[in-house]
Order: sequence, then C-alpha cells, then structure tokens
Amino acid sequence: MPRGALLALLLLSCLLITGCQDQERETIRMGLANGPLNLDPRFATDATSERVNRLLYQRLVEFDPDSRPRPGIASWQVITPTHYRFTLNQHAGNFSHDRELTSRDVVATYRQVLNPALASPKQASLELIASMEEVDTRHLDFHLKRADPLFPAYLTLDILPAELIEQDHDFAREPVGSGAFDLLDWPQAGELHLRRRSDGQIFQLLTVNNPTVRVLKLLRSEIDLLQNDISPELIGYLRRQPTVSVEQHPGSNYTYIGFNLQDPLTGKRQIRQAIAHAIDRQAIIHWVMQGAARQAGSLFPPEHWASDQLAPYEYNPDKARALLGELGYSDRNPLRLTYKTSSDPFRIRLATVIQSQLKAVGIEIDLRSYDWGTFFGDIKQGNFQLYSLSWVGIRTPDIYRDIFASDSLPPSGANRGRYASKTVDQLLNRAEQTSSLSAQAELYHQVAAELHRDLPYIPLWYEDQLSVQGSRIKGYKLMSDGNYDGLAQVKLKSVPDGSHVQSTTAN
Amino acid sequence: MGRFLLSRLVTAFVSMFGVACLVFLLIHLVPGDPVDVMLGESARPADRQALRASLGLDQPIDTQLLNYFSGLAQFDLGQSLHSKRAVGELLAERIPATLELAFAALFVALIIAVPLGILAAVERGKAWDWGAMGFSMLGVSIPNFWLGPMLILCFSLWLGLTPVSGRDGLTSLILPAVTLGSGFAAILACMVRSSLLEVLGEDFVRTARAKGVAEFQVIWRHAMRNAWLPVATLLGLQLGALLGGAVVTEVVFDWPGIGSLMIESIQKRDYPVVQGCVLFISLMYVLVNTLTDLLYGLIDPRIRLDNSK
Repeated sequence: MPRGALLALLLLSCLLITGCQDQERETIRMGLANGPLNLDPRFATDATSERVNRLLYQRLVEFDPDSRPRPGIASWQVITPTHYRFTLNQHAGNFSHDRELTSRDVVATYRQVLNPALASPKQASLELIASMEEVDTRHLDFHLKRADPLFPAYLTLDILPAELIEQDHDFAREPVGSGAFDLLDWPQAGELHLRRRSDGQIFQLLTVNNPTVRVLKLLRSEIDLLQNDISPELIGYLRRQPTVSVEQHPGSNYTYIGFNLQDPLTGKRQIRQAIAHAIDRQAIIHWVMQGAARQAGSLFPPEHWASDQLAPYEYNPDKARALLGELGYSDRNPLRLTYKTSSDPFRIRLATVIQSQLKAVGIEIDLRSYDWGTFFGDIKQGNFQLYSLSWVGIRTPDIYRDIFASDSLPPSGANRGRYASKTVDQLLNRAEQTSSLSAQAELYHQVAAELHRDLPYIPLWYEDQLSVQGSRIKGYKLMSDGNYDGLAQVKLKSVPDGSHVQSTTAN
Repeated sequence: MGRFLLSRLVTAFVSMFGVACLVFLLIHLVPGDPVDVMLGESARPADRQALRASLGLDQPIDTQLLNYFSGLAQFDLGQSLHSKRAVGELLAERIPATLELAFAALFVALIIAVPLGILAAVERGKAWDWGAMGFSMLGVSIPNFWLGPMLILCFSLWLGLTPVSGRDGLTSLILPAVTLGSGFAAILACMVRSSLLEVLGEDFVRTARAKGVAEFQVIWRHAMRNAWLPVATLLGLQLGALLGGAVVTEVVFDWPGIGSLMIESIQKRDYPVVQGCVLFISLMYVLVNTLTDLLYGLIDPRIRLDNSK
C-alpha cells in the first residue's frame, strides 16, 4: 500500500477514536435556527438578537401575560397625562462591569436613541417623548408631546451604562448590561457563550440552520434545548422519543390571509367571505400543524387585554359555493386568483393545503412563492391578490392604525391591502384621543368588529410556542412571545437545586 | 516568468474590477429591500426611513457605487448592514473554516480518486474498472444535501463516531470533508483514468516495460508523472470552487465558512457582505488558477511560462 494512503488511514483512525471519547460537559447548549447579529440594543432588529439582548440587559417596563405593561426595573406614576415619573426599584441591579444601574443610565440610553444622528431604528416608537430628566439616582421624569395611555408600553429599550455610551463602546460585540446573563465569549460565527449571573451556569447558543440537523444534534445530546422553527413532522417524531420532552405553550403570533382591496376580484367582500368560509382552519391545525396553534378570530389572542373574542368564520364550503354562485362562479367557471407566500417550506405547505381547500369550492389558486425580500417587496407595492403572513410580537392595539387606517398606505404605513373605511378611521382617531385603557379597549373592539365584517384580513391562527428539552436539563419555561427568559430557570439535572455551578470555561 | 506574473496580475485586476461592478449592480437590481428584511412587517415607517438613511441606502445608486469603489481603493470592503461589523472582519472570521474544509475535502478526494483512477486505467475493461467507474458515477450523481444527512444519520446518530454538525475539533471535519470530497473524487477519478489511459499507450511506457521496470514503477514514476497535467488543471478549478465556499455542505453541517455567510447575506440583502464574499471567491479562483499555471512548469519542464525562453 502506498505510504500516503497508509498515513491517511492512520489519521482517519485517530480522528474516529477521538470522536468516540465521551464529551461530558457542564454547559447547557441551546440550538438556534438563526444566530444573533447585533447585541447593541440600539440597533438590533432581528428576533434572535432581541431575545438574547433580553437576557443581557434590563428594561424599565415588562408585560403581563395579558400584555398590559407592568414595572420592569421601575414603577411609574402618572403625574399629568403628559408627565410620567419613573422610580427605579431599590435593587435595579448592577451592570456586568459591577456598577449600579441608575436613572442617569436610563436617561442616557433614551437620549441616545432619540438622537437623530444615531439613526436608531427604534427612534420612531419613542417620538412621543418631548423631554426627559434625571430627578435623582432613582427617579426620572418623562414629558410627552401629547397624552397617550399606552406610553409605558413603549419603554422597552434595553438600558446601557451611561459612561460607555459616552465612550462609544462597541456594544454589538461586547455588550455590558445588567440582565440575568453576561456575554462570556463569541468565539466564532454562530456560537455564543453566556454566563448566568445568579449561579455561574454557562450556556452555549449554537446556530444550526437546518431543522433536521438541529433535531439530530438534540437526539445525540450535542445540544440540550430547541425552541420553535421545527416542522410539525419533526415535532411529532420527537414526541415519540423517550429521551426528550416536548413542551407547548399558547403563542400570540398571528397568521392571516391578506387581500388587495383595490383588485377587481379580491376587492369584493363576497369573494373574501367565500374564501373565509372555504378554509377549514381546524383541519389544518390538527393535521398539518399537529395541534400547535389556536384558531384566530382577530388580531389579538383571547388573553390580550384589548382582545375582542370574535369567533372565527365557520368552515362552511356550501356557503362559500353559494356566495361564489351569486357572483356567477361555479366549478365550470372557476374563480382564478394568485396567492403569494414566502419560500419557507412550511409556509408553502400550508398554502398548498389552502389551495386544495379553495379548489373544492371552485376557486383555482395560482400559488407563487418568493424569497422574503422579493415577496415582501411585492406585498408593500400592492402587487398581489392575496397573500399570507404573520404578525409577530405585537403588544399594543395602536397597531390597528398602522395596518388599517386609510392614511397608512405604504411607505408611510402597513395598510398593504389598501383598506379604506371611514368608520374604522373615526374609531381609530377616537381611540387615540382617549385617556383610559378600558375606553380605548372598547373602541378597539368596535374596530375589530368592523374588520371582522369587512375582511381585509382573514384571521387564521395564533401559532403555539414549542420547545424540546433533552434528558440532561429540567425547568425550562416557554414564553408566549418566544423569548428566551426561560433560560434564567433551566438547570442541569446533575446539579442539585440551589448549588453554584463551578464551570469556568464554555467547553 | 516575470512577464507572465505581471500579465496575470493585470488580468486578475481587470477581472476583479468587472466582478465588483457586476455584483454591485446585480445585487441592487434584485427585488427586495434590506430595510424590510431587517425590520420585518411590524416596523414603523419612520423607523424604516431612519434606518435607510443611516445605511446610506437613500442615496442614488451611482453615489453608492462611487462610495463603494472609493472604499475598495482603501481596502475597505464596507460594513455589514445588519451586524454593523466590517466586512473584512466577517470574512477573516470565516476564512479559516473555509480553508480547513477545502483542503480536507481535497485530501479526501485525492486519496479516493488517485488510487481508484489508476486501478480503473490499469484494469481497463475488467471488473475493477467497471466498479471504479460505477463508484464515480454514483459519487457524481448523489447530491450533497442528501449525502450529508445520510452520513450524519449513520456515523453520528447510529455509530456515534462523529459530531452531527458544527466546527468543534478535528472530528467535526470528517463528515463535511467526505461529503464535499466524494463528489469531487468521482470527477477526479474519471480524469485520472482517462489521462492515464492516454499515457499508458505511449512509446516510453512500452520501452520502460521492455526494460523490465516493475509495473508499479512504470505506472507511478513514468506514466502518472505525464498524466498529472490535465489532472492538475481540474484540481486547480475545483480547489477554486472549494475555496469559494461549499454552500450546500456548509449549510447542512453548519460549517461557519464563506459559503454559508454568502447565503445568509443574500437572504438578508446584506449588500456589502455579498459583495465582499463574491470578491473573495473571485480572488480565490484567480489565485488558484495562477498557481496552477505556475505548477505546470514544475510538472512538465517542457512548458515554459516566459515567452522569451
């Protein structure tokens, strides 16, 4: 045998033997579909960065399960409708460079984001703020340009240390926060090491793009935890595995079918109603999504404080056929529509099922899938008849104005279907001028009822949050918006409760 | 040699300039706005406008092109729209992984293809030949997106010999290298076989055999030395492709190389990073092909690179 081949064989054998070695580790590994891109909360816009930043930093305001704003590191007092005083908690926390968080840090962070020169993408949501001032180390005041009872819900910025803001510190790569975790290391793209401050437990967040590979890594205990972005078949498969446990939690991400109301066909309410009656959402949720969703009747899930509890359109193919028949459509003369969706394989599959259900009532769908950039560009330009998308992470009902007000057409708003209703516009204006949340909720219920009748959107479902835990860990709790806050409680089974983890390295 | 290198340098510069222009214009013509991709559907219009301005995307395309080339002239590839990090830094972070995988795949390909090609040529028309060529056909036909998961299933999950994915030590390199190298090995084995068959019919091979030289020496020392030239050409082209990033393999195995960076950046419409990746890939092709040309002179001294000689 040539010497080269012998050498190669020897090398391969060595590698295989190394691979056989038991890899006992004290770290907890979480597999992510996409890695964080930017850990500077002033600029982070992708979902993973936002979720990791929640672990590294703290915020003035958090949300209750019903999405009402509640005190985070500070409570507030409404002095006048345009003057709010925030009081930092007695133990608001220390930054990772061991300095106490004070109101100076809060003011510096908000001033930075409001500075037009910084061009933060989070500036517009805070445009309501006229000025702010530090009263003392624990108190600060916000003065508003106009009254808005939803104001505290906008104060979700992650707080940075003032002196590092002044020094133009690189938070994107070296975050310094006061959250439950520190960044330990970012050794290579797609791998992030965090340390839990309470007990020193080390976490590795590993990016594994391919969902099948993610699942295989979990089954081989190379990672301990997965959350979302797993196809229902894989979830079904994982439920049957004895070594892992699958958790499910009702989610708030809202999936819908949107219509172009300026289109001669989808502009007709009867056609939209026929489509709403032709889609068997319960069957899709049961068979395709393996039960991992709840039927939706409107934008906000039932637990949301502004929810209206509207019933979804019933599945009634006969009624759908009758509505189409009134417009002259039948099996011999089918209605032909174009349905756009993204290139995500699961979204395409859902669209295919909807295509098949609509065919059964005499609607022929030309299904087109595009990569996200192209798809979203078309939607914004109104270049569609119907499309499906999801709203993710919406908390406040003022979103109705952005989506359905007649003056919110792109690019100045998100009314992509070009919906125009004087009644809805008036209700939205009244809601904005109302100073109490309960009165606002009542007006938003009326908006939702109008939308339910006009059907610019067909609400489909609220997708559940799913996590899969390996056999080494316990105690991970899922959140309805899919954040990673559950990492603050998760433990290794081998570590007794209350003990401090001795890990000093991330490997 | 000097003139050859100079002419290659000029060609390389012109090619790279052309590639930079083309990529810049094409990526801006592709539908889709990076701001939309970054902020998603829930963002407010004012936030979109602020972000677009901060990224310089509100400027006319010719101004953006000019800014890009003035940066390039100072070896500045720009900044990622998403992570705000320097593109050069992002590339530098990924290059070691790409080099590691490319050379490991090349190694796998060579140790499979060379013995297989020689065996097929020497045993022409016999079972070994059919077997080797059948293997090659299989290697070319099996796509990496299927082979990769199958290898993971077999060697990681069932046998527990290698990690499933990621770049975590030498063991994690085996499966991606085999996945990437096997397809390349198949093409290379065919090339070795046909090239060797051509040489085996030459007079000098017959003479060597007539002089009683051992068959192994005839094949390895006399025939293979002459058969290397077309093989080297193919090696050069393939190595260029490997160094440019093996997109599918990198995605399947979560290998943090240039290929996966480019795909992620295309999906996010991160223009500067896409441009940086394409420039890097072009540079690799130019570099490897120049080295291949230089290698010709070493493999076959009859080839002179300098016209004056």
